[in-house]
Amino acid sequence: MAFKEEQIEADGFSVRYWEAGHGRPVVMLDQTGYRSSLLHDALAEQYRVISLELPGTGDSPANAASKSVGDLASTFAKLAAVITTERYTLIGTSFGAHVGLWQAIQSPDQVEALILVSSPAIHPQEVLAAASASEVHQLMFAHPENAEKHKPLSAEIFAKESDLMRRLNSGDHDSEVEDRLGDIHCPTLAVFGQEDRLVSSEAPRIYREKIPNCNIALVYDAGHCIIGDRPEALRNTVLDYAEHWETFIVGHQTGVINP
Amino acid sequence: MKASYFGQMGYSDRSTFPTTWPTPPGYTDSKTSVQSYQDGMEECEFAEEMGFDWISFSEHHYSGRIPTGTPSVMAAAVAERCKKVTIAMLGHLLPLNNPVRIAEEVALLDNITNGRVVAGFLRGTPNEDQVYSVNPAEGRGRLLEGMDLIIKALTEPQPFAWEGRYYQFRTVAVWPRPVQQPLPPVVVGTRSDDTIRYAAEHRLGLGVSFLPVEQTAVITDKYHAWCEEAGWTPGPDNIVYRGSIYVAETDELAREWFEGLQKTKPGPNIPLRRTVSEAIQSARAGTDFDLRGLVAGSPEGDVVGNSLGINFLGGPDTVAKQIKEFHDRCGVGVIDLPFQQNTVDHRGVMKELEVFGKNVIPQIREL
Repeated sequence: MAFKEEQIEADGFSVRYWEAGHGRPVVMLDQTGYRSSLLHDALAEQYRVISLELPGTGDSPANAASKSVGDLASTFAKLAAVITTERYTLIGTSFGAHVGLWQAIQSPDQVEALILVSSPAIHPQEVLAAASASEVHQLMFAHPENAEKHKPLSAEIFAKESDLMRRLNSGDHDSEVEDRLGDIHCPTLAVFGQEDRLVSSEAPRIYREKIPNCNIALVYDAGHCIIGDRPEALRNTVLDYAEHWETFIVGHQTGVINP
Repeated sequence: MKASYFGQMGYSDRSTFPTTWPTPPGYTDSKTSVQSYQDGMEECEFAEEMGFDWISFSEHHYSGRIPTGTPSVMAAAVAERCKKVTIAMLGHLLPLNNPVRIAEEVALLDNITNGRVVAGFLRGTPNEDQVYSVNPAEGRGRLLEGMDLIIKALTEPQPFAWEGRYYQFRTVAVWPRPVQQPLPPVVVGTRSDDTIRYAAEHRLGLGVSFLPVEQTAVITDKYHAWCEEAGWTPGPDNIVYRGSIYVAETDELAREWFEGLQKTKPGPNIPLRRTVSEAIQSARAGTDFDLRGLVAGSPEGDVVGNSLGINFLGGPDTVAKQIKEFHDRCGVGVIDLPFQQNTVDHRGVMKELEVFGKNVIPQIREL
């Protein structure tokens, strides 16, 4: 599926986004380097998929303006409003999930459903402080051979994103967002890899406990970068949830072998 | 050191059956079958009285040798008769089962016994791969994923979905929680490096069965080394060895029994047609299987299986010394013993339990 690159301006930022497909909008805040995947292609067959590059991430200029993750989420809300006036399913991965949480809290009128993939907002592990781009890259995968299939961030992008996250305290436990999880009333799925070394295994249950309509999904044999370790499992879980929300727990697969 | 009685619950007339697996169910007679389970439970009660610390149960299918295909049911019945011993599931065959169901059984057993359960996970012998139509090639993967899922299901306080390779459950929320927190003791029964390492890294116990002491030591040495790498030292209850036994009042009596057993020319243990055995082994190993070539090279009716050996044989002092070797060389802290040898009837087992309880347990207790 070919995604078309576009550019928009809002809140003093000029940002790029990539779009494909038609239908209800799905807005994605992806990890840098993982904007093209089985998941994106599968979603674009059913939805209008918009993958947006947050200011200060990827190839965008450094972002010295945003003061907090909530502030960055406000910028994102303005950018998203330029792209679509419809309510959308928001899929945030890693730092994008942290921004997505704030977006769902601050702009509930925009977010129809929320899917958090490997969110580090609650109880991140303290492994990032002094790590290099290649060290963080290795830590993101359950299996070294999967890490080898993907490129680490360039030193320049890694430094820029690290500066932003450090300045926004995104590597720390966000107690403010934890206190406000109860304000998220849209259907929410929190997906984590069972072998995630960047987020505590205690984190998933907190989303389930505090967000009124929240399911958690644990992906076996996957690390923080689930799309790198178990792409099919992530695709199927997210697709099911995007379509069925909390009713994704209802089985539809047939057990008939020989009718 | 602790002693464990393996509650085999063997069908009393099993030695009269032809050596095939599966054993045709038509051989059973309900009166004999009912009495066999009563005898087996009586043996468990007597073992507890004689000072055994654990009573263990295993999942085995389709024969009268160990007819406990649903070991949790058997364990629940015995747990109501035996109020003090540890109830050890050694174990459930994970590739064959729904892991969530196993988690529920372990948790329920832990509650009805008020925290006396040990859980055990294993892959099973090749014949068991034919039960429930599980692909032998997937056994290892199912075992590893199943262990992860069961542990998560027993420890996670919030409902969760599991997106595995072999298992997908969109709602897992096991009730009741186990009494033993965070998790009942777990023993992983294995000889394979990846599973030994799994046990070490997850701080789980290790179970080894029927190997001689030096081969067992190869496995337990790896386990100890990998436990150390993982930052912990296993305790005495973490290493369980299951070995077959015949104990008599004297070495001479035991030797006489063994000579008698040899004269009966016992067939192989869990015999399978060579073609089926090779097909399973090839599937497990991911290697080519030449059915036509194998048929051409095998005599008609060719069956294979392990020969029936006895790990511990002799009078009390000899058996105690043999067990001590496993303790000293391998760090075994629990010795799990199947007393129901093929030619030993209920009375014979009761006699052995008495000899073992009075004369062997006091010798190994302080190890």
